[in-house]
Amino acid sequence: MSDPVGGAVGLPPPFEPQPVPSHQAPALTPTRPVYDGKLSELYGIYLRHLLLMVLTLGWSRFWGRTRIRRYLWNHMAVLGDRFEYRGRGIELMVGFLIVLAILILWAGVVWAIWHFGLHDRAVPGVDIVNLIFVSIALIGVPLAYVGQYSGLRYKLSRTRWRGIRCAMEGSPWSYGARATFLNFANAMTARLLTPVVSVNLARPRIIHARVGTQGFDFAGNVGDIYGRYVGFYFLNILAWAVAIGIAAAALGGVIERSGIGQEEIKAFGDLGRLRTILLIAGAAFGAYILFGVMILPLRCWWRAYLYRYLVSHTRAGNVLFTTGISTRQMWGYLVLNYLIVLLSFGLGWPWVMHRTLRLIANELWLYGAPDGSAIGQPPDKGPRFGEGLLDMFDVSGV
Amino acid sequence: MSLGPSAIRGRYYDGKTADVREVTVVATPGEVILRDAADAALVARWPIVELGVLGDSEHEAVPLLVRRNGEARLAIDDAEQRRALGATVPEITRLGARRPSTAGRLLQFSVGLAAAVALFWVALQSGSDLLAPLVPNRLQARMGEGVYAQLVGQRPLCQGEKGLTALNRFAGQVADAGGYDQAIKVRVVKGGPINAFTLPGGIVILYSALIDRAADGNELGGVIAHEIGHAVHYHPIKGLVRQFGTEQILKAITGGYAEISTLGSGGTLLLALRNGRAFEREADATGVSLLEKLGLRADGMSRFFEELLKIDPHDPAAVAGIWSDHPPTAERVAATRRPPTGAPDFTDAEWQAIRTMCR
Repeated sequence: MSDPVGGAVGLPPPFEPQPVPSHQAPALTPTRPVYDGKLSELYGIYLRHLLLMVLTLGWSRFWGRTRIRRYLWNHMAVLGDRFEYRGRGIELMVGFLIVLAILILWAGVVWAIWHFGLHDRAVPGVDIVNLIFVSIALIGVPLAYVGQYSGLRYKLSRTRWRGIRCAMEGSPWSYGARATFLNFANAMTARLLTPVVSVNLARPRIIHARVGTQGFDFAGNVGDIYGRYVGFYFLNILAWAVAIGIAAAALGGVIERSGIGQEEIKAFGDLGRLRTILLIAGAAFGAYILFGVMILPLRCWWRAYLYRYLVSHTRAGNVLFTTGISTRQMWGYLVLNYLIVLLSFGLGWPWVMHRTLRLIANELWLYGAPDGSAIGQPPDKGPRFGEGLLDMFDVSGV
Repeated sequence: MSLGPSAIRGRYYDGKTADVREVTVVATPGEVILRDAADAALVARWPIVELGVLGDSEHEAVPLLVRRNGEARLAIDDAEQRRALGATVPEITRLGARRPSTAGRLLQFSVGLAAAVALFWVALQSGSDLLAPLVPNRLQARMGEGVYAQLVGQRPLCQGEKGLTALNRFAGQVADAGGYDQAIKVRVVKGGPINAFTLPGGIVILYSALIDRAADGNELGGVIAHEIGHAVHYHPIKGLVRQFGTEQILKAITGGYAEISTLGSGGTLLLALRNGRAFEREADATGVSLLEKLGLRADGMSRFFEELLKIDPHDPAAVAGIWSDHPPTAERVAATRRPPTGAPDFTDAEWQAIRTMCR
């Protein structure tokens, strides 16, 4: 493989994987995945995808997404064996059309309720179109979670390693209900339940995943990470207070030094002026930078810790996992990737995917090797179609 | 025909377990034989007629050799060895295909993408011109009523029958002169702002504040003629089609990423505003020429624009520049100025009925 990233070169991180009972202790040789994709090749595939998107008004996206996945999967190898992606564009399109048909049916039901029941008691300013959109937005929140799980199940069912299909057990609906409840409860408690949400949503995704007949175990406990989260939570509030204070002082200082009077401030409020628009844009950019400098590193610090915790408490039979992802790397993953996509008007997507796979290859460590002969094909072949809900209610990306 | 047993090496997955075996590959005229690399034990014999290749060299780093209808796979990491096997067994030539040239593909698809976007843009501009008149009248009217309900559906309307009759009589006469084939429906909304607009389906909305501000019937006639100019050019439908098309192309070239679409909506807005300025200039010119064609007073439009300049001498349209959906008012005054000749747009009785229709 040319220009490999990952492999066994380099030192494993100081974050130890979870202990294994002595009677099944494997040979804990550390290795990393290898990613050998080339950005230029990925761009070749992506630009063709965009060209077809324009020519087909977006309907080629199912096939484009599939081609990109084939490239990324097959350029990532674990223990010397590459992944395969065997999904088909038509499966994604049928999944999308099924969900579209269900939504149209739903809109019909809402229309019938409106027409035969609520029409006479209508609220002023609310018509049938409003009602349909509100109802779809309401069911869209839980359905997005259902879609995340079923989308993961579809992707895994189309992924092979050493010729063995991956799989996902469990019910997407049960995951969707759990995710909706936990996120609602978290919102109602000023996000104090974030560790509960993170661990309890990671658990079903991990323990229901399979490589053939080989399952995954997760030994994480909410109590382990709560202390760190409480520290993050209050530091975050402090950082916000300081950031707002700095912004207010800076704004006051600028107004005072420039001698701007009440009349000019009033005139500034005239939104038709180009100068006003530019000043508002400048202020928004300044606020974003301040936010980026003070708040996001803190959030990245927490997220890096959470990822390290979740990964190092996961194992698959004899194989243990760990990662040493740092706050800086998490900033690159969460913030820099976001900015790349945003500021390049989407043309930076391949770069972001490339960066992310390089990050995984650099920072994911596997200890031990699976007993290949003990892993068979999974009993079921997975869903026939995929990702309709994800496509409809969530940004599914690749 | 057979290659030496050490010539080609691969990794064999039997499709039943996750075991991996290093094998050597030998091609004979009828089959491909796989032997264990360590002890030369026979691992598999695949008839050539049943061979297949999974994937291609553009997307897969290592396209896999498979026996059709089976789960087993053979991965030959070395590209030269894949090519050698592909050259020996014509049925699987694809296995040894070279990776396509990256630079050539990048250039080809970049140019193709730029050309497709340009083509789409031209098609959107000229296509909307061609297709807008073909949209069925009933559909246009339904769209117009929908937008009307959203924008001003809750506002009270002026019900003066004689005034409405006069407005519709005049609007219909101007529209007929422009060859517009739908019935014009003028509605007057009580109150401000000093504005008027046209919806799909020939629905013209006037605010009573505008009527109050007009010095005489010819100024109001100029405004209505301008709105009829929008109707005869199907500007409302064209605007909707162009906005929808621009959003679609933006979504396509940004990969449908929601945040970018939000950012890109600034660009969409600018394009919509540019369309708006062009539409306004066209409606001004058409309105004036239709009045002249009918032998009616055509000086009212420019006089009404002068009234607007008196209300706000800063001319918000000129200050906002590209952020405005209307051209600068002074420019419109100059472009629509006509001598005070011709028959009045409304009779004295009609003008009186219009002035009092909201009381």
